[in-house]
Amino acid sequence: MAEVRMTNVKKNYGSVEVIPDLSLTIPDGSFSVLVGPSGCGKSTLLRMIAGLEEVTDGSIHIDGEDVTNAKPSDRGIAMVFQSYALYPHMTVRQNIGFGLKLAKTPKDEIDRRVDEAADILQLGPLLDRKPRQLSGGQRQRVAIGRSIVRKPKVFLFDEPLSNLDAALRTQMRVELAELHAKLGATMVYVTHDQVEAMTMADQIVIMKAGIIQQVGRPMDLYNAPENPFVAGFIGSPKMNLIEGSIASARKSKLVGVRPEHIDVSPDAGEWEGTLRYAEHLGSDTVAYIDSEVAGSVTVRLQGEVAINRGDKVFMTPRAGNIHLFRENGAVERA
Amino acid sequence: MQQGSLWQKWIHDDRLRMIIIFVPPAILVFTVFVMLPMIQAGFFSPWKWSGYGPAPWAFNEATDATFGRWVGERNFDRMFGHSAFQQAVWNSILVIVVSLLIQLPLALMLALMIYRTSRANTIFRLVFFMPYILAEVATGLIFAFALDGNYGLSAWFSQMLGLEEAWFPLAEKPWAFYAILAALVWKYFGFHMMIYIAGLQSISSELLESAEIDGATTWQKAIYIKIPLIWPAITVSIFYSVLGALQVFDLVMPMTAGGPSNSSHTLVSYLYNFGFIRLDVGFGSAVGVFLFVTGVVFALVYRNTVQKGQ
Ligand SMILES: Nc1ncnc2c1ncn2[C@@H]1O[C@H](COP(=O)(O)OP(=O)(O)O)[C@@H](O)[C@H]1O
Ligand SMILES: [Mg+2]
Repeated sequence: MAEVRMTNVKKNYGSVEVIPDLSLTIPDGSFSVLVGPSGCGKSTLLRMIAGLEEVTDGSIHIDGEDVTNAKPSDRGIAMVFQSYALYPHMTVRQNIGFGLKLAKTPKDEIDRRVDEAADILQLGPLLDRKPRQLSGGQRQRVAIGRSIVRKPKVFLFDEPLSNLDAALRTQMRVELAELHAKLGATMVYVTHDQVEAMTMADQIVIMKAGIIQQVGRPMDLYNAPENPFVAGFIGSPKMNLIEGSIASARKSKLVGVRPEHIDVSPDAGEWEGTLRYAEHLGSDTVAYIDSEVAGSVTVRLQGEVAINRGDKVFMTPRAGNIHLFRENGAVERA
Repeated sequence: MQQGSLWQKWIHDDRLRMIIIFVPPAILVFTVFVMLPMIQAGFFSPWKWSGYGPAPWAFNEATDATFGRWVGERNFDRMFGHSAFQQAVWNSILVIVVSLLIQLPLALMLALMIYRTSRANTIFRLVFFMPYILAEVATGLIFAFALDGNYGLSAWFSQMLGLEEAWFPLAEKPWAFYAILAALVWKYFGFHMMIYIAGLQSISSELLESAEIDGATTWQKAIYIKIPLIWPAITVSIFYSVLGALQVFDLVMPMTAGGPSNSSHTLVSYLYNFGFIRLDVGFGSAVGVFLFVTGVVFALVYRNTVQKGQ
């Protein structure tokens, strides 16, 4: 069906180079998430796939067809914007059916397809309302509805959930995943939130300053980050990245250990430290420990642990879960 | 206590202070220069009066008819029956029609073309807006000069076309007013264009991109998205346009002064000509009352229909 392939894509705004040289394949039917810090060029990349932004160089293929210079409406894509971009003067029904109307679809078919989309998204009772009469979550659904009636080969989402409150965001995450399962279309989803990436993606693409850092399945990125940036970006709380004597003792520039891969004991262990602060979440306890050898270390302990500020603790990284970032860029696990 | 709290209010309530300081002068100026003359015109309109001597309601047997006399509704009868007045009404209607069918669509089209921010567009905007900044009288003089058959552009064209006699459009019957219409469009389209540009610039770009993805062409984006979204601005510009059409004056005087043979008067130039120039203040007041009532009726009807709910 619809694979998206970008080959040596470059993007400059005037003299500013936003994307230096990027090649990426988004497999057919996948839910691919582009993730990275703000300003790293995710939206730019997505907008180039949509055809809203020209590529400075390189080519884009969708479903085997070269669409590098095609109009947005000829690419078989649909896009959901962060601001939803609903037409304020049209009802929900008109909003969803607008693209079909422009394509000169017969009236009864428009109605049928709008109703079908409304069904999937439970928008039935809202069809005659204007966007301003809807809540944020409902607007989001309408924006999604507008994209699904066009039966696109590829869905593009640009931070679609960032205007929603936390509870609604979690709910919409599930709904989007279900929608993907139901439609089986290729979806490209941009976010700066690694939790969204981890929970929804088949494939995560991590970017920094216009350059792809790593591409892979969520657990691959979690288990085998290829560089310190990816190691620090994926996972919450962040992976501990330790320099100094601990690193040099392991012949590395940097040693990475996730908070959940450190065992703590009151009397014996590899690194000695003092508890600075603990967050008691019930299911977990997150401890921030100051250590002379390791610096400031975050440790995640299962369940509720009675531990107080100033307590002396010993930490031991769990074997098999230690990431060694070598001087030459190689990564090993020990 | 009471006084204290008033004083406290004066000290702490900025809004109240603003109202007390700024509203009375505004009301005073509005009353003296707008309300009173309007009411006066109402009082003058049933009299035959030159504007000299005592106010008409002070006439009595002793002052006899030198200064004026009561004529009741006869000023209005005369006005409605006067062919020059009928022509002026017709001309004013023509101004409205041309504004709505030519000027505003032209302004909208140009606004759609140049509303985006770019260096070239800034220059275009400036050029198109320039006539609006120009004084009306200056505009009239420019057009009068251009259309003069002796030494204006018209003379030049006549020569080019090899006409035996030079063309004096301002001295020919239908052409004189068409020339005024052209000058009006030229002078005011930039103003309406600016209103539309302001509206168009406030439309979010994601909305238009969304329409693009939906397959809208440039034309369809204008029809289905941009124009509906700036509709409130369009209704405001229609409102100004119609009220402005009822007030056209400054452009007429330097171009034709209402001629030839009173064929190019607007309502206000008619009022000026037959009310003031001919020292017939009672009659002029009657025309003023007609103008005022027309404007108020239009404003009320328009606000309660077209602009309802905005
Ligand atoms: N129209 C533009 N003109 C100039 N620079 C731009 C433009 N759009 C984006 N940029 C720059 O490109 C970079 C990437 O932007 P963007 O793709 O929006 O980042 P992200 O979506 O990852 O936050 C940013 O540094 C931004 O300032
Ligand atoms: Mg972005």
